[in-house]
Amino acid sequence: MKVIAAMRGRSRLMLIAAIGVTAALTATACSSNTSSPAATHSASGSAPSGSATSGNITWWASPITTTSPDPRTVLISAFEKAYPNIHVNLQSAPTDTDTNRASLITTISGGASSPDVFMGDVIWPAQFGHSGLAQPLSSYFPSSYWSSFAPGLVQGATYKGQVYGAPFFEDQGFLYYRKDLLAKEHMAVPTTWPQLESDAAALVHKGLVKYGYVWQGDSYEGLTCNFMEYLGSAGGSALNSGLTQATLNSPAGTEAANFMRSLITSGASPSAVTTFQEAQSMSAFATGQAAFLRNWDYGWSYSQTASSPSSVVGKVGVSPLPSFPGQASPGTSNIGGWNLYINPHSKNIAADVTFIKWMTSPAAQTILGTEFSEIPTVQSVRQSAAVKAKNPVLAIVGDTRLIPRPAQTPAYAKVSQAIYTNINSMLAGSTSVSGALSAATSQINSALNSSGL
Amino acid sequence: MRNRSRHGWRRVVNGVNLAALLVFIFIALPLYWMVASAFKTPANVGASPPQAFPHPLSVSNFTVAFSQNTFGRYIINSVIVAVVATVLVLVLGSLAGYALGRLPMRGRFTVLVILLMISVFPVIAVVVPLYALLRDIGWLNSYQALIIPYTAFYLPFAIWILRNYFMAIPHEMEESARIDGANALRTIWSIILPQAWPGLFTAGIFTFTACWTEFLMALSFNVSNDYRTIPVGVALFGSQFTVPYGTLFAASVVAVVPIAILVFIFRRSVVSGLTAGAVKG
Amino acid sequence: MSTPSVAPAPGTGVDVTGTAMPKHARRQDVFRRQQARLGWGLSAPALILIGAVTIFPICYAIAMSVSNVSATGSGFSLSGITGSNYSIMFHAAQWRYALFFTIFYTVVTVAVEVILGTLVALVLERLTAGRGWMMALLLIPWSMVTVINAELWAYIYNPTYGVLDAIFSHIGLGSPVILGTRVPAIAALMAADIWKTTPFVAIIVLAGLVMIPRDYYEAAEVDGASGWTAFWRITFPLLRPTIALAVLFRVLQAFGLFDLPFVLTSGGPGYSTQPLAILAYNAMFRDLDFGPGAAVATSTALLVVIGCLVFLKVFRAQAGTEV
Repeated sequence: MKVIAAMRGRSRLMLIAAIGVTAALTATACSSNTSSPAATHSASGSAPSGSATSGNITWWASPITTTSPDPRTVLISAFEKAYPNIHVNLQSAPTDTDTNRASLITTISGGASSPDVFMGDVIWPAQFGHSGLAQPLSSYFPSSYWSSFAPGLVQGATYKGQVYGAPFFEDQGFLYYRKDLLAKEHMAVPTTWPQLESDAAALVHKGLVKYGYVWQGDSYEGLTCNFMEYLGSAGGSALNSGLTQATLNSPAGTEAANFMRSLITSGASPSAVTTFQEAQSMSAFATGQAAFLRNWDYGWSYSQTASSPSSVVGKVGVSPLPSFPGQASPGTSNIGGWNLYINPHSKNIAADVTFIKWMTSPAAQTILGTEFSEIPTVQSVRQSAAVKAKNPVLAIVGDTRLIPRPAQTPAYAKVSQAIYTNINSMLAGSTSVSGALSAATSQINSALNSSGL
Repeated sequence: MRNRSRHGWRRVVNGVNLAALLVFIFIALPLYWMVASAFKTPANVGASPPQAFPHPLSVSNFTVAFSQNTFGRYIINSVIVAVVATVLVLVLGSLAGYALGRLPMRGRFTVLVILLMISVFPVIAVVVPLYALLRDIGWLNSYQALIIPYTAFYLPFAIWILRNYFMAIPHEMEESARIDGANALRTIWSIILPQAWPGLFTAGIFTFTACWTEFLMALSFNVSNDYRTIPVGVALFGSQFTVPYGTLFAASVVAVVPIAILVFIFRRSVVSGLTAGAVKG
Repeated sequence: MSTPSVAPAPGTGVDVTGTAMPKHARRQDVFRRQQARLGWGLSAPALILIGAVTIFPICYAIAMSVSNVSATGSGFSLSGITGSNYSIMFHAAQWRYALFFTIFYTVVTVAVEVILGTLVALVLERLTAGRGWMMALLLIPWSMVTVINAELWAYIYNPTYGVLDAIFSHIGLGSPVILGTRVPAIAALMAADIWKTTPFVAIIVLAGLVMIPRDYYEAAEVDGASGWTAFWRITFPLLRPTIALAVLFRVLQAFGLFDLPFVLTSGGPGYSTQPLAILAYNAMFRDLDFGPGAAVATSTALLVVIGCLVFLKVFRAQAGTEV
């Protein structure tokens, strides 16, 4: 201390800084030599560690609905009844997906063994798998298990041949419409996008509604979902099969983007739609200010519950999304929803597997469908009469065409950002359609092929 | 009691008063909006056009916040963490601020600059290594997981503030105390601190508020529901696609009450400190 | 440990015939060293605590910014020493914009807050009755959880049910989309920040105002000085250190701007409201690019430190007083 005290100010500063940085580098060099047993656990069909029928599990899940009873606690009690020796401890995660993910990344990359199982977004498998933040699940389940799910869902949870998440419940985009207004104007439910655009603009011009068609155009992940739906309906794709190039600067991409912009310029959608996320668009529709809405499956129960607030109870119809003329019908709906993942550091992977297997079994999926109106991921449950009778959204789930977001690459976050920032800029009129698409393409290509900010 | 005449000031005061009145309105209106919205029924919170005054008045937002979202637990946690951290900061900060401000330490400017550098470092960058450190010690999901980092990160600012106010105190008082035989701690306690009361108040209120509202570290270190603080608890309101503004504002109204109480408690002390300063020759 | 000055024991090298100076100087020297030791002892608890908790993580963050970081299952692995993270950062248009935006935002908000805060402090100082109430009211915006503050303003700016849009359409200004266009979004962000932080500046300035001795004003009035003169000649110069402190810390805070744009605009539209802290957060927690993200965070801190040092030097030269 005395030596340090005696040194001159500046050199002392340098010395302390040098010691600190060296210490940190040494510490990390040491820690990086220890390899995690979970990371080297190969997918060769070996049995998971721990006991399959007893133990404590911590389940990290954000709230699924806002009404009581809470589906998470209902499912946990049913599970504990089936497996009395496994106790599940629920940890409520932040509702914002990004905050949720950041929290998980901090926890798991710090090596924590808890939570054991976490409910995560469907777009996380590639990112989490690439960074070792989720345990590969392929070896723990037989292939018959994976094929029980609706098509496309397991593929969305796969990265480099390994499945990282078990589809828990699913979500898609639907078209909600005011059937009373359509009846009044003798309009049929639109099945093509241009038809919807003219119907919406007409209703606005007649003064029957303030907004014609509302959707999610804010600069965030939801815009990528919306854009993928138009792109898929136009027959296009976002990435090539090798995931090395963006393919959205194509005739299909141009058609989709042009249409989105024309929605605003024709008056069918308000210019404010560039700031709408789910909450704002839902509220606009439910308070009777919009005639058409594109939203997830919760739009039905929200609009039919007067206390949401909603003034359109009994006036709402739902259908699959429209398509473009000359393309396959109906239009494509983007896949959303949540999977169940296992923390690679979990101390009781066998019990986690039991938990996941039960949560994705017909018993649990039926509870989700019939009691909580969530779209089940297991195909047989989706198509069961009980679930289909629950509400009009569940009834038409089988009639939709699905399109996933291009989340198979670990760089998906940057890919999505390239899409939604440029499309949002185009919607606001700050960039041209071709300019936005080529900017998005070059940004996606650089994200896929090199690293950058 | 101030009997000074203010002839020269009167004109200026009026202009300043008017400007301050405008600022006051600017501050009060959004506050009113938040409180009013907290008392609207959940349906009317999203009403368009918005209601200027809640009608009917409803406390359902408050009941939802406390029952469905265990908000009371979060309040208790926040209070514990903030109070302990503030006390620690004031005690340690006073000692260090006195030393760095009034004692002839060589290299104190270096220390102050290092402290500055530390308080400046973006929390985002240090959250991950700090998490790993806390995990290795086994302090995750506890009160000390937040109290210790908060104390460490908010001490530099407190030291700077306290030092600034300590330095303004004339040295003669200290000299006379020393001649009377008082040691350093006594000097600090009976001479320095009473003089720098406003500085203590400022440092204290800053630290308390910073602890009360800190988000990133609280989110990362205390994930268990038993130890969550208010900012993190609030992040759990609603569901993925809804922002329950009514419940949020109700929670905010409740969260603000302790601060208001604190200021009221300290108000008299600050006033007495001010008058003592006026009387001092 | 701490002792008042003690008379030297007889026979310990005291010059009998000598001048008073050397003897006095030596005693002063001993005294100064004693005081310095006392100083280190008093500040040790604080410094040790700060060092233990912050030095390692900060050094780790710096280390992350100069090596190749990959997140493995068991933690981070840092390999090698490389400047590629910084090179990526410098070449990124997003970073350059974020830097410009953060500086611009800091300058504007701090300037406005200092002016408004000083105004408020001046009036508060004059209040005898009701000051407690005013202070409590002032502290409420500042003590609000930042996330809730952001939500409050998101609620106010909402195009469908926000009160600001309702007011605009009432006075016939149409229905502007505040958060969707670049300049209004930036202005909206600043308004929310200024609303929340002006009280902070006001409190600091008030505390400084209160410490100015009354006699100065009384002497000025005896000399017939008018209100404004008294302010510029007495109040302002004596307030300068306090205002400087407020500016200093506000600048530090503003550079770390995170919660407000995170909730209000998510950095949008596009990147137009994305400050450096959010860029770092997105890089690390969304894109899992820990190396470049740490580079952004570290360079931000470095910039602020340099700015502070420059500020301190300039201030010292100007004021001539010790800060």
